[in-house]
Amino acid sequence: MSSQLAPLVRNEVAKAARRKLPYFGIFAVGLLCVIIYFVGGQLNSTATANAWGYVGFSMQMVFTDLGPIFIIVFAAMLVAEETGTGTIRAALAAPVHRWELYLAKAVTGLFYMMVLSAAALLFSAALAVIHYHFGAVGDSLGVVYSRKQALQELAVGYALSWIPLGALVMYGLLISTLIRSPGAAVAAGISTLFLIDFTKHLVGLDPYIFTRYITYPWLNLLQIAQGMDYQWRPEVWRMMTLCGVSAFVTFSAGLILFVREDLNH
Amino acid sequence: MMENPPALALQDLSKRFGRIQAVDHLSLEVEPGQMAGFLGPNGAGKSTTLYMIPRLVRPSGGRLRIFGVDIWKDYKKAIRSVGITVESPAFYEYLSGRKNLELAARLRDEVSPREIDEILQRIGLAERQHDRVRVYSTGMKQRLGVGRAMLGRPRLLILDEPTNGMDPEGTHEVLSFLRQQVRQAGLTVFVSSHLMSEVEEFCDTVFVINRGRLVASGRVKELLKPHERIVRVTFQGRIPDADFLSRHQQIRKAESVTADTLEITLERDDSAWLNQCLQQAGFRVSALAPKQKTLKEFFLSITGPRRAEGPPSINQPPSAPAGPETPPGQTPATPGGDQSHV
Repeated sequence: MSSQLAPLVRNEVAKAARRKLPYFGIFAVGLLCVIIYFVGGQLNSTATANAWGYVGFSMQMVFTDLGPIFIIVFAAMLVAEETGTGTIRAALAAPVHRWELYLAKAVTGLFYMMVLSAAALLFSAALAVIHYHFGAVGDSLGVVYSRKQALQELAVGYALSWIPLGALVMYGLLISTLIRSPGAAVAAGISTLFLIDFTKHLVGLDPYIFTRYITYPWLNLLQIAQGMDYQWRPEVWRMMTLCGVSAFVTFSAGLILFVREDLNH
Repeated sequence: MMENPPALALQDLSKRFGRIQAVDHLSLEVEPGQMAGFLGPNGAGKSTTLYMIPRLVRPSGGRLRIFGVDIWKDYKKAIRSVGITVESPAFYEYLSGRKNLELAARLRDEVSPREIDEILQRIGLAERQHDRVRVYSTGMKQRLGVGRAMLGRPRLLILDEPTNGMDPEGTHEVLSFLRQQVRQAGLTVFVSSHLMSEVEEFCDTVFVINRGRLVASGRVKELLKPHERIVRVTFQGRIPDADFLSRHQQIRKAESVTADTLEITLERDDSAWLNQCLQQAGFRVSALAPKQKTLKEFFLSITGPRRAEGPPSINQPPSAPAGPETPPGQTPATPGGDQSHV
């Protein structure tokens, strides 16, 4: 029998499209971009020397706090809201395997993360062109990075930024599976995210927590914008390994819990 | 595989939640083309049993087959022929009734928009289909739940308290509709309910569970066969006094129902003897008939008083399934969980 993954994803996206939260997330990110536009120059004039630097700076600011919060809120509600209201029972009473539903929810979480990330990039780029130009990056000696090179690196950085954010989605989904009340799941998701970020340096766990890489690709773009030497490797391999392992572990743990748990209350 | 397998077959189905044995080696079979009632006091294990059908709860033991297909071997094949609502149906309240059906329909093959239209018409929600479920009454949600369960033309419909919150008219409409589907389309319906009159009126067979065990099952008509030993006698003029009744050893007891009617319990099934005896003593009997039992009375005689409620404790023997009132021919199960069918 064919997989029900595609219709399940369509259902999840259709449901999300009728909620206010995803739109509010996009609106909040847009608003933050506007605020950054007005205060960004004063905060970091070197970083905002050109459009590439402005976009890198703006994205870094968006994904320091607000972006991850909306991503984890969205992910934390994916399962918990359905178990809390009981709609999960109806979804699973159809010819659907639990793993298919869980995978569909993970795909939807990733999709929203990409939409939010794309919205932030579009807002940042749109605001950047008001004052700056997406041209070649140079210094007193001439062109350091051509426009094409800078654009390529922006694209690579943008794609790489999905990896830690994807791990964040899987973490939110795990929280959503563990906690059956949507409000409690959201609170647990946000509070643990902040708790980890505030304490990881103190206990020496920073190198092992994937959240350290959420803004990493944009820091690299800032270097490019300033005409500095940069290199993705080998740090990007560490990022991919750490985020990949985190995403795999949290996804697997959530999936096993979801497939095995009794959904009678 | 059997040629005509039961629509639903539970075999030694058990579920234990920690120290609580919610379902205890439950075995039952629902034949195709029947409307079967599933009764039991609160905490008897009805909902847990129903939860195990779509694998929302993992059984601790036993097997569960739908039209001969084991749900743990081929879940999708088994569940494709089933429409089910467990407990009060939950919906995406921010979506319309129709959108909720469309989402559910997407997960079932071959559900056309026209079928959704038909279902909305049948459940009486065509005019309110575009309203958000948030503004629906409880009864409307129940009807939408029945509609959702009927998507994809299932052969077996499993409904948990489908008429909760419905007004009498709505209840009758929904159950009549289901009954019609059973008669005309060969649908099988397995419905749990607290409303005995519903089950008595609409169901062909009934399964009664208590403390997770099947305590009685059979055809409703058979289960509700009149008491031959309890006779209602209506008199014209004087009625027999206690002195007269106590002189006859065949009369175990007599209770006054109304001013001119007595309910007389005999030692054996012999209403003809009673009639003759009363006539000979000069009493004018205007009516004499074995007492018709209701499903409610039968249910209470099987499940016992309220102490039967609540989860059973381990090592506690099950209550006696039937007291002295249990008429012969009806089907109290043995305490071990085995049951005989009428």
